[in-house]
Amino acid sequence: MGPKKILLTEDQMPRQWYNILADIKLNPPLGPDGNPIGPESLAPVFPMNIIEQEVSTERWIDIPEEVLGIYKIWRPTPLVRATALEKVLKTPARIYFKYEGASPPGSHKPNTAVPQAYYNKEFGIKKITTETGAGQWGSALSFACAQFGLECEIYMVRISFDQKPYRKNMMEAWGGKCIPSPSPATKVGREILEKDPNTPGSLGIAISEAIEAAVTDPSGKTRYSLGSVLNHVMMHQTVIGLEAKKQLEAINEYPDIIIGCAGGGSNFAGISFPFVLDKINGKQIEIYPVEPAACPTLTKGPFVYDHGDIARMTPLLPMHSLGHAFVPPPMHAGGLRYHGMSPTVSQLVSEGLIEAKSVTQLASYKAGVLLARTEGIIPAPETNHTLACVIDEANKAREEGKEKVILFNWSGHGLLDLAAYGKYFQGELKDFELSDAEMEKSEQVFANFPKPKLLKSR
Amino acid sequence: MANSRDHLEKRCPKLGSVIAFSYCRTCGEDASPCGKIFDCWWEDFDITTYLKETLTEHAFNKLADSRPKPKLASILELIEEAKKRMNEQNG
Repeated sequence: MGPKKILLTEDQMPRQWYNILADIKLNPPLGPDGNPIGPESLAPVFPMNIIEQEVSTERWIDIPEEVLGIYKIWRPTPLVRATALEKVLKTPARIYFKYEGASPPGSHKPNTAVPQAYYNKEFGIKKITTETGAGQWGSALSFACAQFGLECEIYMVRISFDQKPYRKNMMEAWGGKCIPSPSPATKVGREILEKDPNTPGSLGIAISEAIEAAVTDPSGKTRYSLGSVLNHVMMHQTVIGLEAKKQLEAINEYPDIIIGCAGGGSNFAGISFPFVLDKINGKQIEIYPVEPAACPTLTKGPFVYDHGDIARMTPLLPMHSLGHAFVPPPMHAGGLRYHGMSPTVSQLVSEGLIEAKSVTQLASYKAGVLLARTEGIIPAPETNHTLACVIDEANKAREEGKEKVILFNWSGHGLLDLAAYGKYFQGELKDFELSDAEMEKSEQVFANFPKPKLLKSR
Repeated sequence: MANSRDHLEKRCPKLGSVIAFSYCRTCGEDASPCGKIFDCWWEDFDITTYLKETLTEHAFNKLADSRPKPKLASILELIEEAKKRMNEQNG
């Protein structure tokens, strides 16, 4: 049995980020007028040094010494072998995770918040605005701004602001100004409050406020910051995978499978992009972004002839279906459905370099609790999706009798998300089941459709 | 009918906190449902039938067919809207 934790010294931290835009082709982002977006059009919200990174196709970008200095507060993060999980699963797989919950705000988010604060400071910016949902990104940016003496203004969706006062306290501890959104501080906020003073707000409103605050600052010294989706954010996160590579090399290991959850894409990109480069160069490696499962048509729906689309334009096809009107969630190219997925992650799926996986909410919480009881850390709910997929792959390795090496990103701890665990423990999460009445209603859709024969090939 | 599921709660993957279903069905533009409402609630009940019964056909189809805008494009739109508001305010 090897070591439980594989550690790097500060001197061994990567000195460059990996930029995947050097190795893949991407359709240019288009503006509302249908033309490619030019760097200058983003200048009202991002400093030019960040815009240059956003569009750069240089493979390796130096990490500034000042950023490395702040990274040292919690980096390099440990690579941990999940020995207790392996034992419980009786798997021959060797499972390793990068623990990003070790950062001061408890997630991977400061990997990009710190360089973003640094580049803004270098550009002469005095204040950064942003939006946050429940506060994970807002906390990370507050922490980062504090390190560089920048003001930080965070528009936090009111419903979360009211629910999670400790997140506001955390941001304020780092000097950030946390404002419930919508707020009287912006014109868009005032207009919305005028219509409905009790509105719970939304991320869309909070983003509008943060951008307005940046664009309308008469001093010109305020910019906006985003913690996911964009290319430079993905690139900053590659420090995770680059460290993991060095740590695995130190014990003569190389992953067969890499897994990360795919929300806005940044924690998945962080662990996987450096290995995607290896795959492009010929390495055999499976890379799985994990997302919440879509509708359970295959397991729950009757086998019927149905249209494949809600508009009933496609021919009738034999399929497992709960009704053509039942399955309308938007399906993105390549299988990643998340609204707002990073273009680079989507591109890799469409090229077949990575393969999207999905898990149900019940399976994800079950996995999270198993990891808490084996490896000891309570995972962030988004990490739980990753864990469910890790368990599936470890079980598969046992069934196949293969000693696979699995690497995954433990993107954050769940100590500020215990309400979500409460719902799970109270039995409020359940596998999807249609009642008889609902099933009957659903099947009425097919009443006048032809019935397929149940054919058997063998 | 419209509020018959409002008591249900779950963790919102966009916000990162536990919210009630009433929020999901009203937090979009002009109090329309969130674009992720199908993805988030299908495991709990027949959200499609529910929405078909509570929304107009036009509103349901608009929601079901909605696609997110690329992030940079939506940021550009917000910049333009912010500038417009500033100009209106400055007269």
